[in-house]
Amino acid sequence: MTLLSRKGCNSSGLSALYECEAAQGKHVSLETTGSDPSERERLADCIEQIAAAQSRAAFAEVFEYFAPRLKSYLMRLGSDSSSAEEIMQEVMLNVWRKAGQYDRRQASVSTWIFRIARNRRIDTLRRTNKPELDAEDPMLQPAPAEQPDITVNRAQLEVKVRDVIETLPEEQLVLLKAAFYEGLSHSEIAKSFGLPLGTVKSRIRLAFMRLRGSLERDH
Amino acid sequence: MLDDNLDPTISPKESDSFKERATPMGKATINDFGEVYSSYAAGCLDPAFCLLVETQAALRPEVARAVARAETIAGVFFESEERAAVSAGAMDAALAMIDAFEAGEPPSTRMQAATLAGEGLDELLDLPEPLRETALSSFQTNKWQGLTQGIRRLKLDAGSDAEVELYRIEPGCTVPKHSHKGSEFTLVVSGGFSDESGSFGPGDLSLKGPNDTHQPTGDLDGVCYALAVRDGGLKFTGVMGLIQRLVGQ
Repeated sequence: MTLLSRKGCNSSGLSALYECEAAQGKHVSLETTGSDPSERERLADCIEQIAAAQSRAAFAEVFEYFAPRLKSYLMRLGSDSSSAEEIMQEVMLNVWRKAGQYDRRQASVSTWIFRIARNRRIDTLRRTNKPELDAEDPMLQPAPAEQPDITVNRAQLEVKVRDVIETLPEEQLVLLKAAFYEGLSHSEIAKSFGLPLGTVKSRIRLAFMRLRGSLERDH
Repeated sequence: MLDDNLDPTISPKESDSFKERATPMGKATINDFGEVYSSYAAGCLDPAFCLLVETQAALRPEVARAVARAETIAGVFFESEERAAVSAGAMDAALAMIDAFEAGEPPSTRMQAATLAGEGLDELLDLPEPLRETALSSFQTNKWQGLTQGIRRLKLDAGSDAEVELYRIEPGCTVPKHSHKGSEFTLVVSGGFSDESGSFGPGDLSLKGPNDTHQPTGDLDGVCYALAVRDGGLKFTGVMGLIQRLVGQ
């Protein structure tokens, strides 16, 4: 889907690296998770401390962990260094502002902050130089009526996705990452990895079936 | 029993270029947009199409679940993102921004909705987010454009080169024939319309190619709001500010 998707500027580099190392028989150690459970707990504690006590020390810990990752993510999507830092700062401010909305039973801090970053970036593209609408304006309340109440069990998703990703074969894992984290289309992945399109689709499908297979029917 | 029909990563057709379709596709299903969801989750999707995904997710539980699943996958991979070098004063700058926020931002930088006077504001308040905010924000500079009896549209500033509009279709009224280069994606937000490919209700997405001149007619049970995105045959090339170029093969 060349029209709708976009390649991260380093993505072909990363993919080529995996392919090259795999071809040389090296164990391609893709860190599936950059954190261990105790680190995730610590970060969740920090967010709660920000919410409960406006703790700047807790914020500093979160900043130290995520700011470099956020900047890297934003640069990979095409921002230059200073723009990436600017957006990263806006994301971290939103982390501060929204800390009260974080529910550790629902998602890891990584997933939560990643979504804030992704959304912030879209907002940046949308809101070029327009004054912000005042969210407190009574005329803009209440929230839309009769919106269907769509709740997604994110807690369940988080646990299952991590479990499965830990155990996926490397060849599926790298493609899953290329699709869902680097945002490549299947055609772009095929070209980048030098694989037939059918192989890409079937490996991603296999990975996805494992993800779905371990989820109870949630619909 | 796994249901492939709900697997958003599977595209049953080679979906590299919607705009090359010559025949009307009619109602697009979740299957057609597998790579769109993963691309959306990663943050690589054009903002106009982000708006389509987000609005559809607000209307359809299965889309919301597909998006949430994709986002969870992306979030896990985010933890193993490289660590870029951050400037020395970044932490201090962040704390300064927090101090400024806690002290309260000056009111002059915020628009009051009361200044968004004019016909057609109330109805925008019922739209799902983030479409609601986009519509209210666009309403500051754009006006409802009357196309014909009972048909209005509001141009939306969605941060994209694609044309994005909110249509308001009164019961029984028909959108005038309009041809267009490229593809047009129309998502029913509320109410419904019908055209030669069928009947569309909230959350349904109609997909038309350049040779389709469809004329949707609003259902009789109420006003229909629909979000339309037209790519105008554009190949999204070149860097547009923070939007990374869409790379052709």
